[in-house]
Amino acid sequence: MTQILELHDIHTFIGQYHILQGVSFTVPVGSITALLGRNGAGKTTTLKTIMGLTPPRIGEIRFEGRRINGMRPFEIASLGIGFVPEHRAIFRDLTVEENLKIAERKKGDYVRKQEMIFSLFPDLKRLINLRGANLSGGQQQMLAIARALVADNRLLLIDEPSEGLAPVVIEGLIGAIRHLAADSTVVLVEQNFLVASQLAEYYVIIEEGRSVQSGRMQELVNDKAAIHRYLGAA
Amino acid sequence: MTTSGSSFVQRYRIALLTLLALVLLPFVIGLFEGASPFEVWSNQSGMSRFIQGLAIEIFILALYALSYDLIFGFTGLLSFGHSMFFAVGAYLTGIALKSFGLNLWQTFGILMLAALAQALLFGIVLPRVKGITFALVTLGLSSVFHIVVMSRELGDYTGADVGLQGVIIPDFISPATERLRLYFVTLTILVVFYLIYRRFVDSPLGRVCKAIRENEGRAQMLGYNTFLFKLAALILSSLTAAIAGALHTIYQPIVSPDIAGLGFTVTALLMILIGGVGTLHGALAGAAIFRLLDFGLRRYLGESASFVNGAIYVLIVLFLPYGIVGTWQLKASLSIAHMRQGWQRLLEMVGVNVERRASRE
Amino acid sequence: MEQIPAIMRKNLVLIITLAVMLVLFVAAASGMSWQDFVITLLRGLAVGALTFLVASGFSLIFGLLDVLNLAHGTLFMVGAYIGWTVYVRPDTFVDILTPLALIISGFTLGDVWRLLAQRVPQSGLWRRVLPWVAIVPGVLIGFGVMRGYPVASWSLENYAESPVTFSFLASQGQRVIPAPATFGDGSPLIAFGGLILASMLIAFGLTLLRQSDIHTAAHVSWRHVVPFAGLIAGGLVVFTVNEPLTAWLFALDTNWLFLIAVLAAVLSGMGLGALMESTLIRPLYVRPIYQLMLTLGLSAIGIEIVRAIWGRPEFTMPKPALFAGSGEGCPAESLWLALQNSCSTMLFQGGRIRIYNEIFIPLVGLIVLIAVWLLLRRTRLGMIIRAGVQDREMVEALGINVRRVFTMVFALGVGLAALGGVLAAPSIGLSNTMGESFLLNALIALAIGGLTSYPGAAIGSLLVGMLQQFIIKYGQIGIAIPLTGIVFKPSPPLVPASTILLMVIILLILPNGLLGRKE
Repeated sequence: MTQILELHDIHTFIGQYHILQGVSFTVPVGSITALLGRNGAGKTTTLKTIMGLTPPRIGEIRFEGRRINGMRPFEIASLGIGFVPEHRAIFRDLTVEENLKIAERKKGDYVRKQEMIFSLFPDLKRLINLRGANLSGGQQQMLAIARALVADNRLLLIDEPSEGLAPVVIEGLIGAIRHLAADSTVVLVEQNFLVASQLAEYYVIIEEGRSVQSGRMQELVNDKAAIHRYLGAA
Repeated sequence: MTTSGSSFVQRYRIALLTLLALVLLPFVIGLFEGASPFEVWSNQSGMSRFIQGLAIEIFILALYALSYDLIFGFTGLLSFGHSMFFAVGAYLTGIALKSFGLNLWQTFGILMLAALAQALLFGIVLPRVKGITFALVTLGLSSVFHIVVMSRELGDYTGADVGLQGVIIPDFISPATERLRLYFVTLTILVVFYLIYRRFVDSPLGRVCKAIRENEGRAQMLGYNTFLFKLAALILSSLTAAIAGALHTIYQPIVSPDIAGLGFTVTALLMILIGGVGTLHGALAGAAIFRLLDFGLRRYLGESASFVNGAIYVLIVLFLPYGIVGTWQLKASLSIAHMRQGWQRLLEMVGVNVERRASRE
Repeated sequence: MEQIPAIMRKNLVLIITLAVMLVLFVAAASGMSWQDFVITLLRGLAVGALTFLVASGFSLIFGLLDVLNLAHGTLFMVGAYIGWTVYVRPDTFVDILTPLALIISGFTLGDVWRLLAQRVPQSGLWRRVLPWVAIVPGVLIGFGVMRGYPVASWSLENYAESPVTFSFLASQGQRVIPAPATFGDGSPLIAFGGLILASMLIAFGLTLLRQSDIHTAAHVSWRHVVPFAGLIAGGLVVFTVNEPLTAWLFALDTNWLFLIAVLAAVLSGMGLGALMESTLIRPLYVRPIYQLMLTLGLSAIGIEIVRAIWGRPEFTMPKPALFAGSGEGCPAESLWLALQNSCSTMLFQGGRIRIYNEIFIPLVGLIVLIAVWLLLRRTRLGMIIRAGVQDREMVEALGINVRRVFTMVFALGVGLAALGGVLAAPSIGLSNTMGESFLLNALIALAIGGLTSYPGAAIGSLLVGMLQQFIIKYGQIGIAIPLTGIVFKPSPPLVPASTILLMVIILLILPNGLLGRKE
């Protein structure tokens, strides 16, 4: 199976702090991969490092076989990587429509993808002229994901999609993310192990800035010892 | 904390050497001119006397820069009204000595009260405004003070836009007759305040201040009433700046309203940026560099000095990212890290796997 | 409809503040005659409009880039001086165009330099030395050529040829055409070649210095040569038609000349802004506080450069013909008649209104207000700016080159300041200190309106302008304090003090300003 994303021994510093101290994993094309680990283990930093927002000091990142570290974030994004940050960082001052339009990389992206996006998130169509600040948490999360779909992205990095959302909303979200994985590859950071185990085929556990274990999700679900050791949950 | 004498000397050897050099400076300069230490002692020598004057100015600026470093560098309060702290000290000293004929100790008492009052004034606005807004409000407060000092209505006391002149300094500390004594008094005050600041910064109190600078929300969550800590820093800073202002009046005998303006706050900012923010000794180095640079440029370039001055600041900003002292410290620690890395690489080259060896141990 | 009470409750403090200000305004208005009131109001509008031009650019830059550009006032002043040069000494302007085009030309070949830089060995001493090996000779050649390059100019030592004299003559309608400067014994071709060479060397050296850029892939195609060739060709064309062009500009109607001056000032402001952001500010985004020091240093340098070129004495810039007439039918009875007769003033209830200062400047301010608002609300660039104010990283992660947007916004902001400067010149004259007072005004206006709010900048500027003009007016006529019979006349220092006090009071009530966002 070909790998769409490869990380090899990534070290990232934020200021003087050595946050990632050796993260290596690969992501197969068309899969959903979950990054797991405790709070502060470095999962979010891993995603930001892939995007070039916190560039790695040592190591190599390849996207579709091409080395991308050292590139600027906008260049990395332009290769076809969509980023859905934590805390639903949509643009509060922009309307829903503007939030989607700003993500265009080619003229007409938004018009082309409109139908697909609104079939996935029918709520957004109704709210199209509302300002981002006036949306509920769940709506914001949907908008954040929808925004990553406007341009043709072959890889989506999604950070904590279920954080702070009601169970009903999470359910809808799981459906939507599954649907996405039909066309593109997804890398997901998820605190909620239940959600992660429902969604992902593969997992990577990050512990204190290092990738310590990875494999198929099915195997991890049965490996109670590892779950307890790394995730602190039963 | 108990340290043996020799390690104390070793630890602070640069500071002690600097202090020794400053104590000897007037006499050494005197010797160059052929004046014996006794002549220097009795204030006769020309060049030494001149250098003493320059040094006194640097000490005063250093005191002022220290006080700004405490609230900006350590507590993270960006105040654009710091010149008021200094100017209140300077004007009050001048007015108390000149118009009310008070003696130095009474003046000092009033000064302390005034310094406390103005710190409290800044303290009132502290909980309301943060960040750049605090900077603007403090700029506003100090500008109002500046305008008041400049106004004709108070001209009898402050000298309006001409400045306060004709202050009679008590003989025993007069810059005209007892300059060497003033030199040592200023130096002593600077050293004492530096030690107080060192102690403050390293104390639990100072550590909370640093925590506030890094992340005020977290400091609050840890249960600290951050307002009180910021107020404490403000009060200490205000006292220091007021004393610097008083020394300024004593040394200059003329108080120009310029020292109440925004420009003088910028001077404080420049000094600590040149030296290195949040390092204390950076403030001292910054003050010396600032004054000497200004003096030298004005002497040799005259009119176009501020052009070169501006260019030098731009170059410092671009090429010495953390100020002179800060960058030097960083470079030193980095070069140690590089040395370690190089050592490790060397070991690897000769076939010793450092990691494996470490794990075995 | 039930939303309205909710909005009111949310913004109660704001509404009360505005109501109090309205009451004070009415009280201030009722203290003077209708004629005084209207004229004071218009003057307030004029100061407000100029303040707004500085403040709006400052606020755009601060909002998106988080840079407090303390050199903004100096750039306002530079705009005024450049506009004056084009307007009063078009010959100098034409002379300077050719070398300017040639010096810029090398910088348009950015991708070529990047490609070359990638070919250079990436490590070692060579890498450190090479940029300077290119830059230093480049600068030397450039200076060497410019020393001998003929540019018609003025003299700061000789009063008869000083800017003050030229301003005075121009205001008298006498356009004395000084003798054109010519090449002495040197050949123009050597000068042109030298300038192009210098430009290329400096551009290449700077590309080498900026090592982070070198990783990005560079593609070179024939298209990259077009602007380069265009600039050189344009420069040479201007050189060949130098004399007729100069003569034509001197003979041109001053209205058109003024328009050209405004355009030149705005364009050079934008160029300066782009240059400043991309070379000096950009390395400092990670160390915000040092930007303060940098912009302060640049401000001092800018003032010194202006002093070196245009001198210390203050001088005026004549108003364009449309607003300068005083002949038949002037002062006019109405605005329409005033424009027909090109009067400088019109009568209003027995008072005089200066058309340029009190009608034209506020009008331009209004046009800019609307134009920038449309830019922010209706264009993709505006959308990116509004998004970037909140979250730059996310904008970048969407595949947008934020760095380029930063440069554009900085250029736009400085361009607005330069526009303010050139418009202010005929009204308040040119001096080395004009920048500082408007920077302070703009800072206060922004603090009042809300630092990153665009409508806030407009309202704050208006308030600052009004308050200052009303205090000045009351300084003349005095305020009768009720029940006491005392007439209080605010003294001049109270003018700046009043706006500062207003700022402090408003910030204490509303820490984010009137329209600033609550965080």
